[in-house]
Amino acid sequence: MWIQPRQQLLEVWRAMARSAVPAGGWSWGGRHGRNSISDAEQLLCLLGPATEIPSFKLDQPDETADDVLDALAELGDSVEIPRLLVRRLTEYFSTYTDDSKTPVFSGGTYFAAASQVPPTAAQRALDVVDSFSVAIRLSLATIGFTRVFRTVVRRPDLVSEVDALESMASRRLSAAMVGLLRSFSVDVFDVGSPEGQALLETVNQQGLPTRQVVESLHRELRQVKAGVRDITLGSGQVTDIDNDNKLFQCGWSWGLVANAPKVDTTADVGEQRDGVAQSAPYLYFTVVALDCIRNLFSERTRLLGLLDEEQNRLSRSLQLRWDLTQSYWSKVGRFGSGRWPLEDLPWRTVDKVDSDYLSLLVTSIVVQDLTRGQPTESEVQRVGEVLAELAQRARITRRPLFNDPALALHSPGFRLALEGTEAAGGERLHWLVADFSPLLLKQTVLVAQLLRHIELRGQVVTLADRTWEHLRARRFTSGQYLHLWDQTPGAAADQDVQLPSWYYTERVVESLIAAAGLVGTAPLRSQALAGYATDLLAEADHLFDQELLSVSAEAGPAMSAALHGARSTLRRAHELMGNRPGTAAVLAAEVLRELDRLAAARQKATGPA
Amino acid sequence: MLIFATSDKGGTGRSVTSSNLLYRRALKGGDTAYLDFDFGSPTAPAIFEINDAVWGIKGGGLHSFLLGEVAEPRALDVWYESDRDALRGQPAGAGRLVLYPGDVGGGEFPSDDVIVERCTKLLMRMVEEYEFCLVDLSAGRSYAIDMVLAATADPKLAAVPCRWLVFHRWTRQHIIAAADLVFGDRGILDTGTVRGHDRERLSNAIRFVRTAVVDPNSAELAGLRAAQVAWLRDCNAALQRLAGRHRIGRTATLGSVPLDPVLQWREQLISDDDVALTQIANRATAEAFDGLAERLVDDAAWEGL
Ligand SMILES: Nc1ncnc2c1ncn2[C@@H]1O[C@H](COP(=O)(O)OP(=O)(O)O)[C@@H](O)[C@H]1O
Ligand SMILES: [Mg+2]
Repeated sequence: MWIQPRQQLLEVWRAMARSAVPAGGWSWGGRHGRNSISDAEQLLCLLGPATEIPSFKLDQPDETADDVLDALAELGDSVEIPRLLVRRLTEYFSTYTDDSKTPVFSGGTYFAAASQVPPTAAQRALDVVDSFSVAIRLSLATIGFTRVFRTVVRRPDLVSEVDALESMASRRLSAAMVGLLRSFSVDVFDVGSPEGQALLETVNQQGLPTRQVVESLHRELRQVKAGVRDITLGSGQVTDIDNDNKLFQCGWSWGLVANAPKVDTTADVGEQRDGVAQSAPYLYFTVVALDCIRNLFSERTRLLGLLDEEQNRLSRSLQLRWDLTQSYWSKVGRFGSGRWPLEDLPWRTVDKVDSDYLSLLVTSIVVQDLTRGQPTESEVQRVGEVLAELAQRARITRRPLFNDPALALHSPGFRLALEGTEAAGGERLHWLVADFSPLLLKQTVLVAQLLRHIELRGQVVTLADRTWEHLRARRFTSGQYLHLWDQTPGAAADQDVQLPSWYYTERVVESLIAAAGLVGTAPLRSQALAGYATDLLAEADHLFDQELLSVSAEAGPAMSAALHGARSTLRRAHELMGNRPGTAAVLAAEVLRELDRLAAARQKATGPA
Repeated sequence: MLIFATSDKGGTGRSVTSSNLLYRRALKGGDTAYLDFDFGSPTAPAIFEINDAVWGIKGGGLHSFLLGEVAEPRALDVWYESDRDALRGQPAGAGRLVLYPGDVGGGEFPSDDVIVERCTKLLMRMVEEYEFCLVDLSAGRSYAIDMVLAATADPKLAAVPCRWLVFHRWTRQHIIAAADLVFGDRGILDTGTVRGHDRERLSNAIRFVRTAVVDPNSAELAGLRAAQVAWLRDCNAALQRLAGRHRIGRTATLGSVPLDPVLQWREQLISDDDVALTQIANRATAEAFDGLAERLVDDAAWEGL
């Protein structure tokens, strides 16, 4: 792999530190200005690697790695950096809490207007799933950070600062979980409705009779349907799902669903506001929600005990939805015995929107689903091929045409109309997502990790490398924001564009964290290489024993040094056989050559035997 | 400000590092004094290159004063008395740099109330006259440490800021020993508490300084084989962890001074000329001393966690 995740992440950190210096250590905002999502993304660019990769941790000043300190030197030393984080995080959590102590999850400046009419203040204040989701990641990272950091803090004023931060993070976490429970949606429609027809069209790749497709779809989704019946909390409670004439889809809407029931909870989450969002899943927000919910029951969260009792209860309810949604989209995406609907690019939603971006979203759900089970090599390979094709179509691995429409996927991005925003006055708002490349990179890395076959993995890793090249080319190449994202080609003249996008940078950081995970795994073990190494080592062992038989003990220091060296090398080769047969083979070969030198010399002296 | 320099073992670089640190402080302005309480092995005159006093002065030194033999300890102004050309003449903008040497053959002696009283008076006078007064204590758990802990616990000195520097080399044994000197049985904290100090406050006033450290990433190691560097880096990481476990990790450290070829051969001050003009000393060494001199007075560095 050409991507060097550690070096690249350090480069991002160095860039962040450098960009903050003129502003006196930190400056909020960025291309889209401040809002509850962008600010959290900015913090996660630091806190993400710090909490997910052990060698990047910042919570124990005595153990901070030297190169990490070097990268962040502009922000302070090993003691100042965690204190800076505590201050900025505290500032974040209090900024996004209103006067009634209710955490605020508004989309703010991330809402895009569809026309010239700017969004109204009431619209900007609407809660968005993106904000719930980033809050869950940021709060978990914060709580994990404070738990460790507090153990090294002695000063009473600092201890209370850290404690206050942790309780703010915990309150926001509960509120975000409740928010997600009230944004979930199960959308039921008739088989004969336009939505039903569109869904059938997507899944019916073999051109089978409708009756047959409906039946097998019902059969495939039986378990999911059974699960949906168990939903008793928040939104997404439906009654008519068992009807054979109905089809459904599930996932997250863009925000709190209109008429979503309040969630009964003992957690202090402040006021539960009414929602306005259309009750139907949006693939983008579904993926965002799935991605963050996974963190709620990750190993780290359980080991560190990051959730309290009530949060654990809420988390179980979210996990149920997570399971259902994951299976639903994974089953639909890979429906049938022939070509998968997912392979039929681009993906088309039931309301007849199609885009390669949607295909990438479905792929990412399938990838997550595959990592849960034990997928066959060919399943993973097929997903890898979809990713490769998406990369070509998005002009990541192919040169764009003149005025290529495919480039719109990267800039301005994929546009989602947020149905329901008009209920808060004003026109219907949009949401622009431009994270195609980082999302592709992350999925590619995850797929590579699933592949066992060396050559197949090699191909996917190559794809990851090329995607990274594309991402690298989109960094700022000069100025205060050097090495941050995203400098879209051709857009450089615009003043606003010169500010970094935390939305984009955070997603790149996330994909680099995934890449670090891949590098951290043990190398694949090749059967062929293992066999070769075993044979080579057997010959080396044998010849070495023979050599020992023939050489008398008083052969002199040079000889005994050579034999001693050979013995140590052989021992090391045996040790490495299990995990690194290639290295073992090279070591065995080294011994063989050394032994042959002795044998050849001896032959010279005595003539051919 | 009173600065107490100590170490668990001899030969750690306590005197050389303290002298350089004080020298840098003086260059930045502000009058400075160096009190050589290392009654066992005084080296300060050699470092400041005051040849007449290299073995300690005959009578009138700090020992004689503390024992009540003289009313005034001898003071040697380095800018005038040094035999090294580069040190002669007070640089523009610099403060005074005055050495109070020990006596020839003056060894350790147990302190009693009268001696503590004299020590207190001496320190009070020093703080009045100088902005920075550095006391070079001897190695290990010594009478000198006990004496100054008793003196600084005196209400008369309560308002004077005191900072302790504990010097140690970057090896397993030195790390463990340095931690023991502070936190161990009858260590500085124990002794200080007995003498009436608040343990927590005293502990916050102590920082460690690593001396003669080989940085595994430095350019100076270009001559080493890759395998040696890999090994050094692992050792270094293991030492970091060890230090952290013994509570003398990065948080408790004021700084570290790299191993320097000049200092390895000779106890001396590293002037800017040694770095820029003759280039016999490494720039990193001078920068390390300068950094120490900065952080010594930087309250943020002493705030701690
Ligand atoms: N940074 C350094 N690099 C190399 N040698 C050093 C360094 N610091 C001190 N030394 C050397 O270590 C020896 C002991 O130093 P000294 O200051 O006399 O120790 P102490 O006062 O702790 O007994 C001296 O020879 C000194 O020159
Ligand atoms: Mg000494």
